[in-house]
Amino acid sequence: MAQNSPAAVKQKIVVIDDHELVLGGTLDVLKQQYPEAEFFTAKIAQSALNAVETYQPDLLVMDLSIPEETGTTARTDTGIQLLKTLLKKYPTLNIVVQSSYVKALVRIKPEIDAHKGGFTVADKSLSSKDMLTRVDWALQGLTHTKDLKSMRSALEFKPEWLTVLTLAFQEGLQDKAIAERMCVSERMVRHYWTKVQDVLDVYPDEGKNIRIQTEMRAREEGLID
Amino acid sequence: MKSRIFGKISREIASWQVGAIPGFTVVGLVILARATGLLQSLEWGAFDYFLRLRPAEAVDERVTIVGINQADISRIKAYPIPDRELAVLLQKVQKYKPRAIGLDLIRDVPVKPGHQELISELKNSKNLIGIEKVLPVTFPPPPTLPPEQIGFSDAILDTDGRLRRSLLGTRTTQGYKYSLTLQLARAYLASEKIFLTNSKRDRHAMRLGDTELPRFLTNSGGYTGADAGGMQILLNFRSGDRRFPVINLNEIKTGQFDPKLLRDRIVIIGVTAPGVDIINTYATTGIDRMNGQVYGVEIQAHAVSQLLSAVLDRRPLLQVWADGWEYLWIVAWGFLGIVLGKLTQSPGKNLLAVGLSGLALLGMSYLLLIWGWWIPVVPALFVLLVLGPTAIAVYQRDRTLKSRIQERQFIIEHSFTSIHNGPLQSLAAFLRLAREQDLPQEQLIVKLEQLNHEIRDVYEFLQQEPLTQDRSLYLNKGLAVDLQAPLHELLYQVYCSTLERDFPCFKTLKVKIQTFDPVEDLRLNLTQKKEICRFLEEALCNVGKHAVGMTRLSVTFTQKEELYVLQIADNGAGIVSTSTEGRGTQQSRNLARQLGGEFQRSPLPPRGTLCQLTWRRAKLRKWVIGSRKS
Repeated sequence: MAQNSPAAVKQKIVVIDDHELVLGGTLDVLKQQYPEAEFFTAKIAQSALNAVETYQPDLLVMDLSIPEETGTTARTDTGIQLLKTLLKKYPTLNIVVQSSYVKALVRIKPEIDAHKGGFTVADKSLSSKDMLTRVDWALQGLTHTKDLKSMRSALEFKPEWLTVLTLAFQEGLQDKAIAERMCVSERMVRHYWTKVQDVLDVYPDEGKNIRIQTEMRAREEGLID
Repeated sequence: MKSRIFGKISREIASWQVGAIPGFTVVGLVILARATGLLQSLEWGAFDYFLRLRPAEAVDERVTIVGINQADISRIKAYPIPDRELAVLLQKVQKYKPRAIGLDLIRDVPVKPGHQELISELKNSKNLIGIEKVLPVTFPPPPTLPPEQIGFSDAILDTDGRLRRSLLGTRTTQGYKYSLTLQLARAYLASEKIFLTNSKRDRHAMRLGDTELPRFLTNSGGYTGADAGGMQILLNFRSGDRRFPVINLNEIKTGQFDPKLLRDRIVIIGVTAPGVDIINTYATTGIDRMNGQVYGVEIQAHAVSQLLSAVLDRRPLLQVWADGWEYLWIVAWGFLGIVLGKLTQSPGKNLLAVGLSGLALLGMSYLLLIWGWWIPVVPALFVLLVLGPTAIAVYQRDRTLKSRIQERQFIIEHSFTSIHNGPLQSLAAFLRLAREQDLPQEQLIVKLEQLNHEIRDVYEFLQQEPLTQDRSLYLNKGLAVDLQAPLHELLYQVYCSTLERDFPCFKTLKVKIQTFDPVEDLRLNLTQKKEICRFLEEALCNVGKHAVGMTRLSVTFTQKEELYVLQIADNGAGIVSTSTEGRGTQQSRNLARQLGGEFQRSPLPPRGTLCQLTWRRAKLRKWVIGSRKS
């Protein structure tokens, strides 16, 4: 993917946080990792929307708890509403959600499931290294919502994601053939894969084949025979 | 279909029945009052008033009054008028060749001087009709007049002392006799070749040429038990301020009058001085604008005039409806009162509607009277004015009562649904668990405490939930969801919240498949949305209780063009079929019927259960407005 290499194109990143200190910290970490990128910041929901609208960024890093306008108190609800609007308006935007209470996202799980861009969740207590990994995955268009799942909860799929699994591992089809079968684009099939991988907790790992990892996990869970 | 229409009709009838008791009572009382004569004077009053209110008619060109007034009497200095004066008067009048003369003066005994002159004048006057009185106190006619030149002048007054009828003929001890009025009309009409005959329809009634004279009966119009002896008709007074030309004695003597007024006309000679021959009536104004009083001679003129105008000008004679029609008319207005009471929602509107209907009734009665029909206006007005407000009071009370019952029913249903979808489900799961294994004491207490909380929560939901604007859906653990949100979001919330509940079968679940297609403008109102959410909740609870060993659960809400499908499929053991349909199933069927869709629950081979609600998007425009409003 084009965004993958920081040097290729000048990347644009929007960071939203109402806390000056946290905002500064996040920016520092990101600037070290992506020295070539252009950064824009916003502290309230309204200016955040404007920033995304104006700069059409490659990545959005946002805090969930933000104020609606300057002077009002920061509320998770505001962040959730903003996120909902963004997901609807920019279905391919890559998003990293930073929050100390990521579980609030459960409410908009259907919207997240339907989102075609990268979407990763990073708890604020995460180390900088882990956080940067999540940012990188989001830029790759991957989904990481493992933190939203409760421990004993069952795996949750969309019907079409399961279809991808079945077609790939039971009938041995390649993405192109799967796309034809399902009457969707190849890009959409790739998007489904990221969702399936997220459900099965399969994430990029050095030296491991992600498709094979996925197949193994699927068999483990009894999704395919 | 047929039974539904029939049910609708019978419900409609039932809703009207409430007004029947006051309706029958009031109409019955009014009819009773009328039949016993309590309303008679009121009806007479309205009758007189309407007659007086009529537009003025032209001055009659067939009847002239020669009135001996107070000035004439003063000039002659004698009363009664001496026979000689009368003889001279008759001579002068005869010179102008009137068609008939009515001598409305009592001349049974000689009034000297000049009696012989009068006798000879009377003998020569073949066109003169003299008067007598026949009922019950009598006086004889002027002597020497042959019977065909005599008419009686009796008037039949009503119990209030007023005149409304005209007696045309009656049986006496000396045989059947005609009134002065009828004799004059006969004499006048004879020269037009129009003769008096018996009516063909009513052998007691009369006919002049082809004009039927409507006979007055004992209960005609507003009358109750009146003396209808002989041949009487209602007196249709000529309306207006100037009705007949009047010439006084002095004017005749001195020749100061238009000869046209006498030639070929009926001339009625009488006294127009106060205190002599006065009749009470409110139906017309007197010659001298005496209030409520008219000279007897003018009454004769009215009576003759109405006969001549009826025959020659087709001016209407007063008629009434048969008693049956009159009472039907009264009942009809009572019914209208009830209808207005039922249809109008507020007392103000009711008052307006009843007022307008009352005015319409008065106007209609007035117009009909002008056309010669006297209809019962007072009793009809009475039932309308009483029943309109009574009926609205009765129906309002009934509506309030019904809505209270409905409200109560709603609360009961609502409470039960809340209990059924909440604690009852948990209790069922708990019971199953308890039957299958021995539960340790602590677990028992935990479960019971949980149940305790759930039941208390129900009370809180019901408290929170306003009945009228029910915009929220209350889920497990006091979670409230705004029903204004799109249906797919609501369903997702229900899905998440229900799956978090502590049901045994959820524990084995490994894979959940869910999709909630975003759909806009479903054309559903809030209640329907709520019911659909409750349906999903109920279905998932069932899965939680019965789908033993389930590993996979699929919950999908999809849209295909106009068709919506909400499907819950599991691969558990499934419900052991019972003979009776559970309450939940009934609710689901009701919901499906309401949406015009279908509910289905069936086994899913090789193992599992499918529960599905399907419906089409509503087409009616009306519905959209309804759902947006609510």
